[in-house]
Amino acid sequence: MKNILTIFKKEWDRVIKDKRLVMSVMILPGLMIFLIYSFIGNATTSMMQPDDANVAIVNAPQSFINLYESVEDLEILNTVFVEESSEELYVGRIDEGNWDVWIVFDDDFETYDGTGDKPGVRVYFNPNNSQSQSVYNRFSGYLYQYQNALSLALYGDTTYFAMDIDNTEINQDIIAGRMFSMILPMLVIMFLFSGAMSIGPESIAGEKERGTIATLLITPVKRTEIAIGKVFSLSVLSLISTISSFIGIIASFPKLFEMEGIDSSIYGVGDYVMLLLLLFSTVFVIVGMISILSAYAKNLKEAGTLIVFVYIATILVGVTSMFSESADSRFVMYLIPIYNSVQTMKAIFTFETGVLTYLLVSIGANIVYAGILIFILNKMFQSERIMFAK
Amino acid sequence: MDPMIHVDDITKTFRLSRKQQKIEHTSDRIKVAVNHLSFSAYPGEIYGLLGPNGAGKTTCLRCISTLIQPDSGSITVHGHSVQDDPDAVRKEIGFLTSDLKLEDFFTPNYLFDYFSRLHGVDPEVSQARKKSLFSRFGIDKFAEVKVGELSTGMRQKAQIAISLVHDPKVIVFDEPTNGLDVLTAKVVTDYLKELRDEGKTIIVSTHIFSLVEKICDRVGIILNGTLKKTLLLGDLVKNEEDLENLFFDLVQEEAGEA
Repeated sequence: MKNILTIFKKEWDRVIKDKRLVMSVMILPGLMIFLIYSFIGNATTSMMQPDDANVAIVNAPQSFINLYESVEDLEILNTVFVEESSEELYVGRIDEGNWDVWIVFDDDFETYDGTGDKPGVRVYFNPNNSQSQSVYNRFSGYLYQYQNALSLALYGDTTYFAMDIDNTEINQDIIAGRMFSMILPMLVIMFLFSGAMSIGPESIAGEKERGTIATLLITPVKRTEIAIGKVFSLSVLSLISTISSFIGIIASFPKLFEMEGIDSSIYGVGDYVMLLLLLFSTVFVIVGMISILSAYAKNLKEAGTLIVFVYIATILVGVTSMFSESADSRFVMYLIPIYNSVQTMKAIFTFETGVLTYLLVSIGANIVYAGILIFILNKMFQSERIMFAK
Repeated sequence: MDPMIHVDDITKTFRLSRKQQKIEHTSDRIKVAVNHLSFSAYPGEIYGLLGPNGAGKTTCLRCISTLIQPDSGSITVHGHSVQDDPDAVRKEIGFLTSDLKLEDFFTPNYLFDYFSRLHGVDPEVSQARKKSLFSRFGIDKFAEVKVGELSTGMRQKAQIAISLVHDPKVIVFDEPTNGLDVLTAKVVTDYLKELRDEGKTIIVSTHIFSLVEKICDRVGIILNGTLKKTLLLGDLVKNEEDLENLFFDLVQEEAGEA
């Protein structure tokens, strides 16, 4: 145990006493995620904000004007009432992207009595221009409403049936939770892996490459103690890196989901404790895998190549959270490493009732896998062919 | 007197990759690095393994220091079997080779304490030993400088000091003066003689005749993984024989046999 702590402390010091590593492993991940996601959030929000809408209308009936003015933001709506003779001018502008919509109402539009030719409305817009398309969509909606209102006045209620739609009261927490559960499990697994990936290979493949691991192997410390000491310290450091990333995500959520009004404060202390326990057990499995690949590799470069394949596979498993509404309900599936973490996270984020069972099965399975991986690593440390391969 | 190190009929082979086969101009898939080698070393002596590059000296030393295991034969260090009880052997030996490096990021001071703890040395004893070794090798002024920033000579001296944190009874030193400047080489060889006088068992491997003549009590000449002859340096001096001539006679003999 004393030797495990000694090795743990040395691996810990290797990162903690290196300012650059502290920055890149513990501070930058969270900070970068916060900045990038906030930027995406701001950009999305400003994209959703409509620009000035330019509409030219000929023969606009007052009741139509009243209709759209009651809905539109008049500060950004620029409506001009013109003669039909200026059609060429406005159509040209619309084609060039300098104007949005041109609407022409027939003369004596409101005097139609239901007999003879119906009055017409002609609209021109530019589908190639997103602003023009957007303004057209809104104004075509007003036109349909206006059409219905006029029909009602002329013919009375001609609809066949009346609809009365009711629904369960909306629970914002469940909706927000579902949103989180789609994205977060994959991101968290990615951060967990990339945190471990930034320090794991260095600690084993790097030491092998530089010949420092042999110095350790001729001490009377048991190989199991070396394996446990390294895996534990790398796991704690990776977990700190992941927590940093996690804080970054949570802090950037209000900006990222501003439009949807999603609030990440829906989760309580219990949820975060469950998440932390789950992540801690998961990080052992990830660090165990990275350590074995690093021990197998002849040098850092080879370790990096091998680990990338596992990283991609892990991301693919993480993506499964995006394709289901709720967590997997088959207990046996919680014995599959990584997948169990992804699904348990989904259960935590969506407040599922069976979450505790999923959590316990996952943590139990992860501890068993971590034990197996440490056992393999221990055997690898004993193999001269692996440790001294040139 | 019982031998401190007893190497008994060890053989060690390595599998060659295709690339290595090309380099070695051979079609054999297996290379015999050490071939039925036996010798003993006693407390209070420096035993030298003399041979050209690739003769099997380093492989033999790596087997003694538990880094690799012989395919057959046995090795005991202070009565502990290298194969059956490697941890006990590791407690008894200090192994020095250019293959074993110190982490650039840490300071000699940190690494000395780290390896002391791993060897289970009492902290007070460790501090006193550190002071003495660091001042003996002139590392004290550089104790807080990262290993990566030390000069090559200072780094090697730090490696020597750190390999002796547990005051081992046996010191196995692969090419002790390789890459050292003359001053550092002198410090190292003088220290090895001091350790011998304290009763330690020291094995060195080298291809330098003058080093053998200067520090070794006995020397085993190793060619192609086989121990050809063991000589007492004292007898050589007494009989006015030249080590270099004896060595080349053996090389010629070996070439004739081949």
